[in-house]
Amino acid sequence: MKFVDEFRDAELGQVLAGEILATVEPGRHYKIMEVCGGHTHSIYKYGIDDLLPANVELVHGPGCPVCVIPMGRVDDGIALAREPDVILTCFGDMMRIPGSDGSFLDAKAEGADIRMVYSPLDALRIARENPDRQVVFYAIGFETTAPSTALTLKRAKAEGIKNFSCMCSHVTIVPPLRALLDSPDLRLDGFIGPGHVSTVVGARPFEFISESYGKPVVVSGFEPLDVLQSIHMILSQLTEDRCTVENQYGRVVPYDGNLRALEVLSEVFELRPHFEWRGLGFISQSALRLSDAYADFDAEQRFTVPGVRVADPKACQCGEVLKGVIKPWECKVFGTACTPERPIGTCMVSPEGACAAYYNYGRFAREREVV
Amino acid sequence: MIESHSRAEDSVPECLPDVGCITCSDEGVEMRALEVDAASGLAVCLDPEGSRSEVDLGIVTGVAPGDVVLVHAGVALTRLESEEAA
Repeated sequence: MKFVDEFRDAELGQVLAGEILATVEPGRHYKIMEVCGGHTHSIYKYGIDDLLPANVELVHGPGCPVCVIPMGRVDDGIALAREPDVILTCFGDMMRIPGSDGSFLDAKAEGADIRMVYSPLDALRIARENPDRQVVFYAIGFETTAPSTALTLKRAKAEGIKNFSCMCSHVTIVPPLRALLDSPDLRLDGFIGPGHVSTVVGARPFEFISESYGKPVVVSGFEPLDVLQSIHMILSQLTEDRCTVENQYGRVVPYDGNLRALEVLSEVFELRPHFEWRGLGFISQSALRLSDAYADFDAEQRFTVPGVRVADPKACQCGEVLKGVIKPWECKVFGTACTPERPIGTCMVSPEGACAAYYNYGRFAREREVV
Repeated sequence: MIESHSRAEDSVPECLPDVGCITCSDEGVEMRALEVDAASGLAVCLDPEGSRSEVDLGIVTGVAPGDVVLVHAGVALTRLESEEAA
């Protein structure tokens, strides 16, 4: 398939692995965070970490938007779904995320009308087809996904659709990265930057990482050769004592992002003063809510939602996994009490979550020898 | 207005480990535009598995039938090279 096959060539992968081996300095340990859950998934799916020298360690970052949704927001969604005449729509990834009293899937089994959609456009179509019902789109995702919600809200407003609203839990990528970099228990050498988020925001917003924190960043594509090349680019910067933002995914990512998308986002959304991230706590200006111009479509204003903060389960160490402090298999409940079938923490729910990726690709028994 | 080819919501499968997050997070799917309606800003696009989807072109300009676009959650994020140009 075009745009895919050429980035999965096994021989080229071996060549890149050899170049990586030739680049690293023996005796030096390299710790690289892949910010995006999509990269985590690619790394496990294609066994990329098996191609790396033992002294190159990959750390899984907070880039799965499902994994960072706190339990209280799940409870809020369920409360909305239980309102009379409400149809709650959401991406499939949200269905099994545990709240304090069950998941969306549990609420659906108990009679709540919760429907999975591929895009908010589908949610808007459901609203058109059900004029006597209130249709709420439960919006999650980083800046990659936020434009789809924004464009759909613009359509709803232009068409005068009154029975459509949005519960917005969109998050932004830079504030949690800054919080991670400020974390005293975190030691990283470089970052594999998020590919499709950068399609919208560009690579430029990550310059603070190299300029203020002295860490290289390489915005990367998702195919195995993309990821290998990005790791090589980061290691080359470290070896050559350089530190900058590079764009490996230039075939898709413009350095300054998609200006039209950024305009649409700023029209429809505004930053929340604070937002709670699962495992990371409250982070200032790290999430979006609807702007005043779209307040009529804000489900949190149209309905009464509990808005109660719920602490993470004590046994769950998703926060430490998200910060890269521990590996998934080092969590006390990994693979025993917490599995993809019966998840305790969100990192085990989404396929892009670090724990689920580890579990599904059989890495849970493996202990990597680190130099 | 292009006739909607969106998949019915009741046919949406659960996310599977071998395909990753279908809709959210950071996934992009290369799709070929089959029909483009400039007035509505919508296109009918074909994904690699042969399914047709309605795609919003609101943040990408100049998409023509035959072009390949990177689609995330029903929105074209960017236009990739068309087969003719590649």
